[in-house]
Amino acid sequence: MATTSYLTPTQSYAAGALFGLALHQAQIHQTHPLGLDDPTDDRTETSDSSSSSNDAVSEDPGLWVHQNSGLLRPVFKFLEISSNAWYGLEETAGTSSANRHVGAFLRLLAEESGENSSQREDQELALSTAVDVTARSMDEDSESSKSKREKLREYEHECREKFSTAEVQSNLEAEDVHLLQETDSNTFEIKDADHALMSKMTEKPIEEVTMLSYRRKVTVLYVLLSACLADTSDDNKKCNRQRKGYDARHRVALRLLATWFDIKWTKMEAIEIMVACSAMALAKEGESKREEEKQPSKNKWAKWKRGGIIGAAAVTGGALMAITGGLAAPAIAAGLSALAPTLGTLIPVIGAGGFAAAASAAGTVAGSVAVAASFGAAGAGLTGTKMARRVGSVDEFEFKAIGENHNQGRLAVEILVSGFVFDEEDFVRPWEGQNDNLERYVLQWESKNLIAVSTAIQDWLTSGLALQMMKQGAMLTVLSTLVTALAWPAALLAATDFIDSKWTIAVDRSDKAGKLLAEVLLSGLQGNRPVTLVGYSLGARVIFKCLQFLAETECDAELVERVVLLGAPISINDENWEAARKMVAGRFVNAYSKNDWMLGVAFRASLLTQGLAGIQPINIPGIENVDVTDLIEGHSSYLWATQLVLDQLELDTYYPVFRSTTCKQ
Amino acid sequence: MGSSSNQPEFDYLFKLLMIGDSGVGKSSLLLSFTSDDFEDLSPTIGVDFKVKYVDAGGKKLKLAIWDTAGQERFRTLTSSYYRGAQGIIMVYDVTRRETFTNLSEVWAKEVDLYSTNQDCIKMLVGNKVDKESDRVVTKKEGINFAREYGCLFIECSAKTRVNVQQCFEELVLKILDTPSLIAEGSKGVKKNIFKEKAPQPDASTSSCC
Repeated sequence: MATTSYLTPTQSYAAGALFGLALHQAQIHQTHPLGLDDPTDDRTETSDSSSSSNDAVSEDPGLWVHQNSGLLRPVFKFLEISSNAWYGLEETAGTSSANRHVGAFLRLLAEESGENSSQREDQELALSTAVDVTARSMDEDSESSKSKREKLREYEHECREKFSTAEVQSNLEAEDVHLLQETDSNTFEIKDADHALMSKMTEKPIEEVTMLSYRRKVTVLYVLLSACLADTSDDNKKCNRQRKGYDARHRVALRLLATWFDIKWTKMEAIEIMVACSAMALAKEGESKREEEKQPSKNKWAKWKRGGIIGAAAVTGGALMAITGGLAAPAIAAGLSALAPTLGTLIPVIGAGGFAAAASAAGTVAGSVAVAASFGAAGAGLTGTKMARRVGSVDEFEFKAIGENHNQGRLAVEILVSGFVFDEEDFVRPWEGQNDNLERYVLQWESKNLIAVSTAIQDWLTSGLALQMMKQGAMLTVLSTLVTALAWPAALLAATDFIDSKWTIAVDRSDKAGKLLAEVLLSGLQGNRPVTLVGYSLGARVIFKCLQFLAETECDAELVERVVLLGAPISINDENWEAARKMVAGRFVNAYSKNDWMLGVAFRASLLTQGLAGIQPINIPGIENVDVTDLIEGHSSYLWATQLVLDQLELDTYYPVFRSTTCKQ
Repeated sequence: MGSSSNQPEFDYLFKLLMIGDSGVGKSSLLLSFTSDDFEDLSPTIGVDFKVKYVDAGGKKLKLAIWDTAGQERFRTLTSSYYRGAQGIIMVYDVTRRETFTNLSEVWAKEVDLYSTNQDCIKMLVGNKVDKESDRVVTKKEGINFAREYGCLFIECSAKTRVNVQQCFEELVLKILDTPSLIAEGSKGVKKNIFKEKAPQPDASTSSCC
């Protein structure tokens, strides 16, 4: 099998080590985000010699790099790293200032390939070209983003006309225009500023990275991803990780690694698609073979090796499409046919060889079955299950697929939750303008209750009383009083009674929906792929409650990769934010608007003394607090401005980003 | 392999590093020390790591020992492990002269270059004394080198376990004799980033006995 692997043993070792380092750093960044507060910046750390003083990794089962997490060893196994070296690798990854090792391992990775080097170089070339082509075709797919923007603009306009009379007019027309301009400039100017920021923040020994060829880097990422998916850990009984498939922590570690490598994340997404498609192809192949015959295992091996040839076949034509029954992304098919003239049938482009190696390492075909299970080949898991049973008193809980990325082998899922809606389409439309490469779903829940409470709030806003107060400028200052709970304007108090009962019901339902969402994730309906959760208003509460529920189970941050809460009606002091944070492997964003007094009114003074996530930063390490006051004039702004906030957050970057100020001089 | 899961209490934690040419018996020495065992080992890949609890000088010690690969191709890797080590064990094979000369020409320079610890204790170890008939490096030469370089010296055999315990013990006692190293190794310095907000640990801890 050695000939099918893309890397030399030494390179595999280095790759495994780097992955381990990335994994551990990712866990550190959970509570100490990169670039925000970094007390041990390694460049200036020479005087700090206490690096030796941490405990051994083997004694801290809470670590992601500990063997019980089941995150690292299967990867080592797939990479065919000798088990003698595992212990040392884990410890290396876990040393407190591991960053200094990164350069050394990168250098090791840059090593020449040895006797098979020309063959390997060809493989690297083929692979990286395929990745490029796939990435490019993904970009072309997203050309439609412009029209999406148009749609969003339209939606924004509608919303504004419908609801924002009371809120916006107080802020003058000029503000309105300003916001629109912002929309334009923000989306496109951002990119350049980003890179300066990035190189500053990644704090990596750049010299070593430049030693590595682009091809080598792509190859390493490809192999590592295959290793994450192949999951050959069946025999480890101590392993805490029940779930098969693509762990959110894996994805975060890969994201960091890609950042170290200075590889754009879209390339990584292209790699994901390629691995997914070739894995699906292999799994299909394996299934049909097993049904046909129960041959002695030797014959099976021949079949598995043939699995490695699938890639080659795909280069020549649509074989892959045939095998996967149309599941393969059009993107990859296009990419591969574009490749054909340049490379011919020279090499198996898709890393089927890698999977064959995985199977050999596991000694069974179980490896590939895990692959198939890992991203629910059909991808219909979420939408297929409307709520089969009613939980508690939740009447409606349903996933709807949006965007074009379904059944295309995307290895990450995004679930979007609205929470302030006037119409059923408000569950979908706020999210339509978004442009990323995730398989996206919106969660439609309790529309009746949500519409009721939203409308009640809106009605009250447009009522004479509120307008009166607004004119007096009361509302703009109310919030500060609310927070300190010194004074409640009497008029306001009376007014909220009107909203209160509906609000109480909606909050209660959101808590239950959160539990339901957690159950869905736990049962793996998303196909054991990492999930990104985004929600505003009560939708954010659903997500938070979901995380809390996950925290109560034995779960670690294996399911949820990223979370964005916008205008969240969640108490700060009363809730266990640390526990929720631990459930999220990557970034955890709290977007708040200091002017969202409506949220304050609805949430009531008694709770406000305990802090409110939607209007204040949360002082918990690891949570990115983002002030969106400039974008959010009132609570209903979230309907159309959520998109803008998400754009500025650039969720695909590893480290915290929010560029609200770029276009304001 | 590895340590027991219920962690014994300890007073100090010291980081030790083993270096030297490929095949001089670093891993065998470590195995002999940690589990009183000897077997033919394949060359170490990258780095290995072992923990051993010992009592010395009336203190309970936890030794975190990093065993590096001697092979040339892993040389770049080794350099990043010197940092923070309180003790460095330089091993040569008494039956192969080049492993001895390489210590002064290669390894000693690496130590000077990469070790961050001024007071770090170095120990020269001549391994494989069980092959007395094949010996080419005399004890005298070893002593002279050690004196010149300012480090401890011992000859031992991982196979027969002669002087193996003594080797580590001497090193540890010497570390315990050095106040600055004790300060680094004391438990107070330990920081667990996942439990606290990782305040920059104060190097001066109440440790003088």
